[in-house]
Amino acid sequence: MRVGQDSVVPWLFSLPAILMLLAFLVTPFVLAVIFSFTNLRLLSPIPLRFVGLQNYVRVFQDPIFYRALGNNLLFVVIVVPVQTALALALAVLVNQKLRGVRAFRTIYFAPVVTVMAVAATVWRLLYDPDAGFINGLLGAVSGGAVHPNWLRSTGTAFLAIIIMSIWQGVGFQMVILLAGLQDIPHDHYEAAIVDGASAWQQFRFVTIPQLRNQLLFVVTITTILAFRLFDQVYVMTSGGPLDSTQTMMLMLVDVGFGRQRIAQGSAIAVIFFLIVLSISVAQRRLIREEAT
Amino acid sequence: MRRWALLVVLVALLGPACGGGGGTTTSTGGCTGKVAGGPVTVKAWFHSGQGSERTTITSQVAAFNASQNDVKVELVLLPEGNYNDQVKAAAASGGLPDILDFDGPFLYNYAWNRNLVALDSCISPALKANLLASIVKQGTYAAHFYGVGTFDSGLGLYTRKSVLAKNGIRIPSGPQDAWTADEFNQALKTLQGAGFNKPLDLKINYGQGEWYTYGFSPIIQSAGADLIDRHNYQSANGVLNSSAAVQSLTAFQSWFKQGFVNFNVDDTAFLKGQSAISWVGHWVFADYRKAFGDDLVILPLPNFGKGSKTGMGSWQWGITSKTKSVDAAWAFINYLLKDQQVLQMTGANGAVPATKSASAASTQFAPGGPENIFVQQLESSAVPRPQTPAYPTITLSFQKAINDVLNGGDVKAALDKAVKDIDTDIKDNDGYPVKT
Repeated sequence: MRVGQDSVVPWLFSLPAILMLLAFLVTPFVLAVIFSFTNLRLLSPIPLRFVGLQNYVRVFQDPIFYRALGNNLLFVVIVVPVQTALALALAVLVNQKLRGVRAFRTIYFAPVVTVMAVAATVWRLLYDPDAGFINGLLGAVSGGAVHPNWLRSTGTAFLAIIIMSIWQGVGFQMVILLAGLQDIPHDHYEAAIVDGASAWQQFRFVTIPQLRNQLLFVVTITTILAFRLFDQVYVMTSGGPLDSTQTMMLMLVDVGFGRQRIAQGSAIAVIFFLIVLSISVAQRRLIREEAT
Repeated sequence: MRRWALLVVLVALLGPACGGGGGTTTSTGGCTGKVAGGPVTVKAWFHSGQGSERTTITSQVAAFNASQNDVKVELVLLPEGNYNDQVKAAAASGGLPDILDFDGPFLYNYAWNRNLVALDSCISPALKANLLASIVKQGTYAAHFYGVGTFDSGLGLYTRKSVLAKNGIRIPSGPQDAWTADEFNQALKTLQGAGFNKPLDLKINYGQGEWYTYGFSPIIQSAGADLIDRHNYQSANGVLNSSAAVQSLTAFQSWFKQGFVNFNVDDTAFLKGQSAISWVGHWVFADYRKAFGDDLVILPLPNFGKGSKTGMGSWQWGITSKTKSVDAAWAFINYLLKDQQVLQMTGANGAVPATKSASAASTQFAPGGPENIFVQQLESSAVPRPQTPAYPTITLSFQKAINDVLNGGDVKAALDKAVKDIDTDIKDNDGYPVKT
């Protein structure tokens, strides 16, 4: 009897979570895999039929897909290291025991609590080549010599989105790293000082190793968020000019919802899932190797 | 025992959350002529565009509810930016309201998907005869009448007489003597020289959306091309990517390359006098008129070879197959089509009244009136957007092509891509067969 109870209770407690996961994650994904082999459309009286690999073939033949994938990868490669380094720098800055440091913490964190669509709308105005604040500032500093077209030029649009994304996201990582910094026992630093460590050596050999877990968390989360890049691009450029800011998510929404091709959208979702999964697995492998 | 009771409670709590959907009662019949079964509440969706339209529809609903006891309308306002997407999502999940307002050319797709009820048995012959021909034409799919607008649209070049006169630019009198494309280009050059740094406002700030198709497909149509071959609506090849289309959109692209176009981030380029010509629809009329009074003039779009063309079609009302009572829903639409109601709405948004009698009663649209050109255009040079269930794909593909072109992309390549997308979609849908 006791054994029976012990095995029922844990299941009972996890039941709500399991049901939710089944209903909202597992089932939709299994359906997406099935749909990706059919001709399913969002709205259509045409009967459902299996079309084999047609949806996948179309995705892989679409030049926009490679553009989108390339942009996503570029975004990860630039944003993850830059944003993590900046977050660490900011965390160290606002960890100082200075008057008014709380105000700075709040200011750096403010973009995180701003709704992305609102922030993106404001930045679209800031980036305006003629009337925007950013070019006004650049013009004043450079005497009019620097005048990028930002969101309207294929050369700078994606860079503009990267800058805006880092501004928006860096505060969140800063708070996590700040919590980690405040957890480091002070005696570690005292011991380092007694050993004659310089400020840089303290940072390199005390702070960084102590922050390892937080840094790993930040890198993983930033990577996943970077792949999900959508809101700011949708609002600021809709993937243009000339597809220079396309992303996988944008393509998925356009195909699956805008063009009502649920089946092809599902195929993109499956491909997207496999890519993110393999990167996450690779990341975990690397981290484990380091730990041993 | 108690644990199992807990489990039952949990399942009961989660059940409804996971279930969703359900209930697929659909009305297929039309009107019976009277609202049965006491007071009926029907839900109506409306796109929440300009403030003046919003206040008007709200007061119209209140007036309708107060005028009788059989039908009560509950109005839901949804943001215009992604209104079409919200309708699609609601249709897919079975969440459509009784009465739906939708952007005209989407009617054919909704009707094909059987989201709409045919209104043939609802509309009286007298009312139908009183509607503008363009309204009837656009509300009809596969020989049935599915939707009716209370107003039609107008598109033109808003400018100031004084500015044109000062710079020696000819003022056309109507669609028949519109500027040629070369004349238009020359006028822009002159205006640029006269101190209008970016003389042309194309409302690029509206962004990639239905505006791009509505506002710029008349360019290729004026050159003799079109969005799709309208003989059987099976292919866009040789039409949308014809040399006429490529040439006219190359001219369009050159306006950007020559630096004529004001990107108009805050929507005030024309009002603030930065731009001298604003290429836009009827909906700005009230604001522009307030700013410039009688100096404001509306001119036809340029002629790219086969005569000036313009867009037509606007928002329409339809009844969805989800409705509880077609009669109750129709009672409301019928009310909105009374002359007084039509004029109240068009007075607010500057659009062309949908009924001939209302149009005649309005001074704005009468010959010599400031907006008379819109009536002239609807009679002569307006082209409806393609009347096919493939329209959602056609418009998305064309919007994308326009966006590529205005960003300096290769015109022919952009149009070829659009043609490929459209033709693939039509093939995927077995040519959108009409089912009876």
